[in-house]
Amino acid sequence: MMTVTFGLFAVSAFFLWQRKSEWGWAAVLIALILGIVIFMGDVDFSANLGVQL
Amino acid sequence: MKDGILSPAAARVLNLVGMLAMIAVLIGAYVYQFSYRELPCTLCQLQRVAMVAVAFGAAMNVMLGPSPRHYGVCLVSVLFGLAISIRQTLLHINPFFDSKTGLPTLAATSNPPFGQPVFGLHLYVWGVVMFAAVILAVGVVLLFNSQFKANAPEPAWLARLAALSVALLVIVVSLETLTTFMECGFGACPNDGGWDWWIFR
Repeated sequence: MMTVTFGLFAVSAFFLWQRKSEWGWAAVLIALILGIVIFMGDVDFSANLGVQL
Repeated sequence: MKDGILSPAAARVLNLVGMLAMIAVLIGAYVYQFSYRELPCTLCQLQRVAMVAVAFGAAMNVMLGPSPRHYGVCLVSVLFGLAISIRQTLLHINPFFDSKTGLPTLAATSNPPFGQPVFGLHLYVWGVVMFAAVILAVGVVLLFNSQFKANAPEPAWLARLAALSVALLVIVVSLETLTTFMECGFGACPNDGGWDWWIFR
């Protein structure tokens, strides 16, 4: 999933460079949502809501 | 002054400098990764995602002209990156904690910091400093309304410089995509910081 996230940025940056496309902000939001999903998967919620107390 | 204190062209130059700074940090992380032979962990990769997103917001300002929407992209991305780097800093802030048993311990090496320090701080702590600095920089630049003037003339040298710098961003992000695929494939990334590339297993 991390690969897809970076790939999304690569495609968006390419279109920004070549076509001056203005939809890149939406791609960033989608990539950040993917990042949040990855982050939630990385946290161990079994103890203390994932916080080492 | 005709264009106000900060003209659209000057704001684009400032964004270009910020974008190049982000690219420099990403390249620095690469140098660190290959010189210490340490693959980035999941949280480290997510901080790189945030840096790329901040650089992308700045790139939009550089290519399309300054816009509150593009600064918004930077701020949302930086908030994401700050949350990740603070999380990782807190995970390693107490060395007297055994992360395997979940109990306090007197053995200081039971919860060691991740990776090698750079100028005395670990990369995730530098992440906190850097993301906070970006918030300050974007906040200060947003104070100047004159940069948002519509139909501002675009100097030819700036258009060429913008295209070159965004091309550099494309190259760096493509490299990130390639190395992330080599490290993680399409699944979860390893968290042990070793040199175990998914593609060579």
